[in-house]
Amino acid sequence: MAQVKKTLIVTRFDPDKDQAPRTQKYEISIEDDAKVLDALNQIKDHVDPTLSHRWSCRMAVCGSCGMNVNGKPKLTCKDPISAYGDVIEVTPLASFPVVKDLVVELEGFMDKFKKVKPWIMVAKERAVEAGPTKQSPDELADFKQFSMCINCMLCYSACPVVSNEPDFLGPAAIAIGHRYNQDTRDEGARERNEIFRDDGGVFSCSYANECSEVCPKHVDPSAAIQQAKLNNVLDWAKSFVVPRGGK
Amino acid sequence: MKALMLKLEPLIWLLFGAGMMVGGFVLPAFIATVGLGLIGNEAAYSYDRMYAFFSNPIAKLAAVAAMALPLWGGVHHLRHVWIDFGGLKTDGIVGGLLYLLALGGSVAAIVAVVTL
Amino acid sequence: MHARPRLDAMRPKKEGATRTADPRPPDRFPFGGNYGPYLLFGSCGAFLLFTSLIAIEFVMALGGGQAKYEAFMSRIQGGAYRAYFWIALVALIWFTVRFFRLFPKTQPYRLGPFKRPPDAVLLTGLLGAFVVLNLAVAVILGGVLG
Repeated sequence: MAQVKKTLIVTRFDPDKDQAPRTQKYEISIEDDAKVLDALNQIKDHVDPTLSHRWSCRMAVCGSCGMNVNGKPKLTCKDPISAYGDVIEVTPLASFPVVKDLVVELEGFMDKFKKVKPWIMVAKERAVEAGPTKQSPDELADFKQFSMCINCMLCYSACPVVSNEPDFLGPAAIAIGHRYNQDTRDEGARERNEIFRDDGGVFSCSYANECSEVCPKHVDPSAAIQQAKLNNVLDWAKSFVVPRGGK
Repeated sequence: MKALMLKLEPLIWLLFGAGMMVGGFVLPAFIATVGLGLIGNEAAYSYDRMYAFFSNPIAKLAAVAAMALPLWGGVHHLRHVWIDFGGLKTDGIVGGLLYLLALGGSVAAIVAVVTL
Repeated sequence: MHARPRLDAMRPKKEGATRTADPRPPDRFPFGGNYGPYLLFGSCGAFLLFTSLIAIEFVMALGGGQAKYEAFMSRIQGGAYRAYFWIALVALIWFTVRFFRLFPKTQPYRLGPFKRPPDAVLLTGLLGAFVVLNLAVAVILGGVLG
């Protein structure tokens, strides 16, 4: 493994000292097959222990290490430094308030996530004696793709609507809501569709498709949102014909 | 106005989607013929021929759809571009005016065809 | 030109324990990367709007009698209109093709008992319909057929 020299320009922000974020340059020598996260960890371990950034699994399943690298939202644990030139700019995810350095405030996302009620909703709990619920492969295929989200929030960082409409639920929240609407075990579609029709719901999406472009797990949240719009229109039309609570 | 737009959003979106489809399938041909005269000769666009064609009930129905639906496709897109450039605060007024324009145009399309 | 996000973008309902820095806008928004084509796509709504309005005026002129119709047809052959029509023709074709490319995944995996066809099939069908329908309208309006 060869060593390469890289310059990382990293956003720094200490709420106790800084009025606003600033940048700091680090010149390091690192293996040529390293990821951007490895470079940040090397800086923290050997150059500047004050650097703060989130990471955990190092294998693109936990969603913790999302950051903007040279302007694009990436999971830094799977983003190779070999994809970049000598200079790599690392900034916090866009559209999120910044807590410190590369760490962003996540509670805003959590508020939106919980709003769509991302769990199986049933009118009456299924009795244990009734046995397991069964789903055909086709029924699973209706929603499986949208269940692969790891909440890394790269989609929020890429979405132009998120930064312009503070009430917009956002790609991941809508995708997970749609996932449950499509699940045959769930009975909460009507309730979720009312949330989807509210201010900042599915119709705020203008189909920029950037969320799907940056998604590292190929969830394709923009597909979920457009499908949710169509479902919502059908549900809305049905509500004029079938009384509330009817099937 | 914003509350009304929110309530009608599913209908607006439906009209917008239909407008994009119909607009794509018909408006380029309209531009190429009536607009630019790329197909056919002067006789094809004569008053007598055009009037006879658009007097047909099926042609009238198709004309209303082809004129009215793309209006909704157009204004809905423009409303979102306005929001993308930071116009959310005035979305109630701007969006409202755009949809009123589409509504007015749709009524005008129907009137134009009915009074032929 | 750089976008500025709203300062309350992704702000939590309850403020955290420490002061936070304002959110950054998405890098490269509004004109860099894919954002440029996306905004151009949205702006093509203007061509849908104005071309439809011209079509309405066309039918109104038709209903207004021969003199009004001929005056209208003579007006739209002017320089400004011709320039608009050429730009609108290219723009609407690009707009429609881009819309069709984005269309397949907007459909659910299943519609009743039927599975959604592969994206390539849907796209080919849409493009085929685009060519056939536009040609049909063109040859009918242009007097080649009927």
